[in-house]
Amino acid sequence: MRDLSTPTEGSGYASAQVKDEARSPLIALIGPPNSGKTTLFNRLTGLRQKVANYPGVTVEKYVGQVQCNLERTVELVDLPGVHGFSARTLDERVTRDMLEGRLEDLSAPDAVVLIVDCTRLESQLMLVEPVLKLEIPTLLVLNMWDELEERGGNLDHMKLAHLLGVEVVKTNARVGVGVDQVKEFLSGVEIRQRGLPPPVHVLSNVPRGLPLPMIDAFTERRRRVDKVVDRVSFVRPGPARSTEGLDAIFLHRIWGPLVFLAVVLIVFQSIFTWAVPLMNGVELLITSSGEWLANRLSDGWFRSLLIDGVWAGVGSVVVFLPQILVLFLFLGILEDSGYMARAAVIADRVMYRVGLQGRAFLPLLSGYACAVPAILAARTVEDERDRLATIFITPFMTCSARLPVYALLIAAFIPDRPLIGWLMGYRAAVLLGLYGLGIMAAVVTAFLLKRTLLRAEPGSFVMDLPPYRLPSARSIGLRLLDRSKIFLRRAGRVIFAVTIVLWMLTQFPRLDAGPPPIEESALGRIGQVIEPAIEPLGFDWRIGIGLVTSLAAREVIVGTLGTIYGVENASDDSMVLQETLRRNLTPAAAIGLLVFFAFALQCMSTVAVMRRETGGWKWPMLQFCYMLVLAYSGAFIAVRVF
Amino acid sequence: MGSTAPESMSGLPKEEADVELRLGDIPLRQTVELVRIDLPADRAEPLLERGVLPGCRICPVRSSPTGDPIISVDGSLLALRRETADCLCVRLLSDFS
Repeated sequence: MRDLSTPTEGSGYASAQVKDEARSPLIALIGPPNSGKTTLFNRLTGLRQKVANYPGVTVEKYVGQVQCNLERTVELVDLPGVHGFSARTLDERVTRDMLEGRLEDLSAPDAVVLIVDCTRLESQLMLVEPVLKLEIPTLLVLNMWDELEERGGNLDHMKLAHLLGVEVVKTNARVGVGVDQVKEFLSGVEIRQRGLPPPVHVLSNVPRGLPLPMIDAFTERRRRVDKVVDRVSFVRPGPARSTEGLDAIFLHRIWGPLVFLAVVLIVFQSIFTWAVPLMNGVELLITSSGEWLANRLSDGWFRSLLIDGVWAGVGSVVVFLPQILVLFLFLGILEDSGYMARAAVIADRVMYRVGLQGRAFLPLLSGYACAVPAILAARTVEDERDRLATIFITPFMTCSARLPVYALLIAAFIPDRPLIGWLMGYRAAVLLGLYGLGIMAAVVTAFLLKRTLLRAEPGSFVMDLPPYRLPSARSIGLRLLDRSKIFLRRAGRVIFAVTIVLWMLTQFPRLDAGPPPIEESALGRIGQVIEPAIEPLGFDWRIGIGLVTSLAAREVIVGTLGTIYGVENASDDSMVLQETLRRNLTPAAAIGLLVFFAFALQCMSTVAVMRRETGGWKWPMLQFCYMLVLAYSGAFIAVRVF
Repeated sequence: MGSTAPESMSGLPKEEADVELRLGDIPLRQTVELVRIDLPADRAEPLLERGVLPGCRICPVRSSPTGDPIISVDGSLLALRRETADCLCVRLLSDFS
């Protein structure tokens, strides 16, 4: 296990120590999933938090500042929720490495706040022992104290503090009870002596150096936990009636699957219809600000770059922000309420048939908005092979970046005629078919993968079903804010760069009169080089360039075609673009292009995130080639069938 | 049955082969004690971390729409697969229910 976290003594600790000079104390917040950890984190830090990735992995690192009192601020890290320190999942690995001070850009914590759900004291206290072994100041937070009392439970928290030798605080993080006491503890944390070697203790589920089988090690620890639980006179709370009542519906033999389907439908409906007015608003904002800017700049290459290049390019991506936010709003509500775990249980059997597991449901659903956060969400899939398979098929889910491409081509080539009366038209049917195509490809791919490269004994599936809770607007709001920041940062970097390069390629080689005709520009020549390869699909060089630029992000092809067809502001006036498309593409080739986009991995962000999540180029390259072959042959067949 | 004292916490040899019960066979609402986990260590670990340990009390509280068991352990609700439940050897608690 040690080799998973390569020692970084040289660089890592040295730089951490340099940073020591002026840093405030760093405190790690850890706890099992669903213990209210993030709620407490949000209570403590509010808006003074930022998201970044841990070095090398895409586990999101939340660091925030806590203003304990007037003169004291400390840094708090919200570590991923874990049940143990086996390093079986990425989350556990990151948590372990951070606590041991083995992460490059973070020093070992000066103190630990361990939060547990005190209604389930016994199993939650299993984390205490390994944490205490770290021998750094620790605060044990007994969260959901109100719920414990409501359900008739009790325990002597002073005794618990005495037995464990740590401070103990009772909280109800949701409404903020006890948060001030946590702040009090934080204000007392001192920076550990500089130059001190990193802790020698190695966190693990099983004590190292003991030839004890794992089950026995756990049983031993459990016996000690039970002893503590006995001595603090823990009265176990009665059953949570509301959760039982809701489960009777949501996990009902008939109602359960029906509610599940309804939830999926509502999520879809929300992405594709309710988000549209918002997207139109954003689009209006972008175009009007572009026009405003254009009127203030003199005509020249700079205006062309800024308006036709940057504004149109970045704008075409920013438009998707509302859609992604609406999706994450729903996902946030579903997760925080506790329903998502039930959905995963219902989905598990079907997923299992394909070779996946129920936990893959959330990432795959997120994939309909964007594969990048979806691939990150796959880290909750505990089995490594299942996680890889989930990541591998996620890009087949029809992400929202495919939508503008589908919308353009469908509007241009598919007649607006009813297919099944008023219920469904040809256009809707084609769109639905494209979604189905993606799902089919995903199912077949997962099936194949689990029988070849990722063959494994079916793993044991254990899913925690947390009690149902009312989601807090505060937590979800903060998460949406994070999502927006991450999304905009991405659009700001990748898309910005691509549009500038693309624009420059259309401007050279320069003629006396100005930019060359598009066929003679550098971009046009590149397209003509590609043409022979895509001719069998019925695509000409213009589409070829679109395919190349859409490697950056799928929707870029819309803007690119706009530029190439010499239509100013393609996104404004897509009617003109549709006309031109109809002249340049046969209907069969248009279907081929749709199929191509359904399959191809035209998204560098996905490839980049794949590389980080799988720790190398092997999987992203394999996936890219696999999807390209599928896309090419799919389009090849489609052009001949239609 | 009486020979198996409560302190038989960890993976005991199969001395109760004649009355080998699996969690999958237990009717709803019948609390049982976990005797042994018939899974390799790495696959048992997620169970162990969540408190499913030899000696613990398990109560199947519900069955999912797909017929998989949902159990209560130490006040936590866990969903298992039938296949996993069949790897959990349990014994009835005669002094209860």
